[in-house]
Amino acid sequence: MAYVITSLCTRVGDCVEVCPVSCIVPGPKGNADWPYFYIDADTCIDCGACAAACPSDAIFPEDEVPAEHAADIDLNRRFHTEGPGYWKFDLEQERGKAS
Amino acid sequence: MQVTAKDYASEVKPTWCPGCGDFGILAAVKAALVQVGLVPHQVLIVTGIGCGSKLPDYLRVSGILTLHGRPLPVATGARLANHSLKVLVVHGDGDGMGLGMGHFIHTARRNMEIVDIIQDNQIYGLTKGQYSPTSDPGFVTTTSPEGAIETSAHPTVLALAAGGTFVARGFAGDVKGLADLIATAIQHKGYALVDVLQPCVTFNRKNTYDWYRERVYNLADTDHDPGDLVAAFQKALEWGDRIPLGVIYQTQRPTYEEQVAALKQGPIAARKMTKLSPAEVESLRAEFI
Repeated sequence: MAYVITSLCTRVGDCVEVCPVSCIVPGPKGNADWPYFYIDADTCIDCGACAAACPSDAIFPEDEVPAEHAADIDLNRRFHTEGPGYWKFDLEQERGKAS
Repeated sequence: MQVTAKDYASEVKPTWCPGCGDFGILAAVKAALVQVGLVPHQVLIVTGIGCGSKLPDYLRVSGILTLHGRPLPVATGARLANHSLKVLVVHGDGDGMGLGMGHFIHTARRNMEIVDIIQDNQIYGLTKGQYSPTSDPGFVTTTSPEGAIETSAHPTVLALAAGGTFVARGFAGDVKGLADLIATAIQHKGYALVDVLQPCVTFNRKNTYDWYRERVYNLADTDHDPGDLVAAFQKALEWGDRIPLGVIYQTQRPTYEEQVAALKQGPIAARKMTKLSPAEVESLRAEFI
């Protein structure tokens, strides 16, 4: 079913560190099309480690995403199908908002 | 009609800790069943007692949750009663290699057509962190405060010694690889062991995802011959800095079920029961009482 990162994301990046299947990818910092982090729904194993680690409470299981963030479900998927997907990133550089 | 992952989905949410390796194993079992093309009513999953043994609750299959250490004899009974069912046993290292150790040896010896998936996190998780038969010597837990003083019992070596015809090891952090391995095990005609390395994120702070990732490698990337028993023993004994994953050994031998005369006419569960006449009942009573 997969988890979803919503726009509440503040690019802390702890989720990336705990994901057992490495399926969370940041949007390149400063790229206005992809401002936060995105979960690959096809690889996610629904373990919830990311949601537990997120200090901003930005991550939800797909069927618990609040109505106002429903558009993020498709956005996470599109990042991995039409967007950058698994691009080579340095987590330390990607953490935090673009200045 | 094609089977998809949706056919196996259950509304019951797992109660495992976030990040638990059992999530990866659940995903891999589901993917393997779909890959092989089995529909839910063709599958029986038998488990013991432990966190991982709750797995059938989270899948749309027939499941039997048995006693600690006892899924293999129950699975054996299920196979004898209905050998048209695909039977998987899913249990932890504490269940399978502790109390269940005897059944493990005999099930492999018999070559029962059962897939035996061991959720191997080297600890007793559900009971909150005691060392297990597969824990490394020196492992400090509540029941081994000075470090475990026993040598560890790896399922792979013991399965080979007991005559197991399919011996493999997988990793819960590599869901795709594990799914392929389980699919191969499902299609093997005979006993098929899949020892799945996984972390216990709450109680085992030593054997973490990272610990495994630094050590595991794929036998498929080497020139290992899974038909060579001596080479298989060497690979099964390899542990520590390098841990091999994949098919360690595979061979063919008649299964137990194939050799039982009473099963030759087809699954017992599919047979019609004939009503006994009063004379037949009387004759049976006279024989036994």
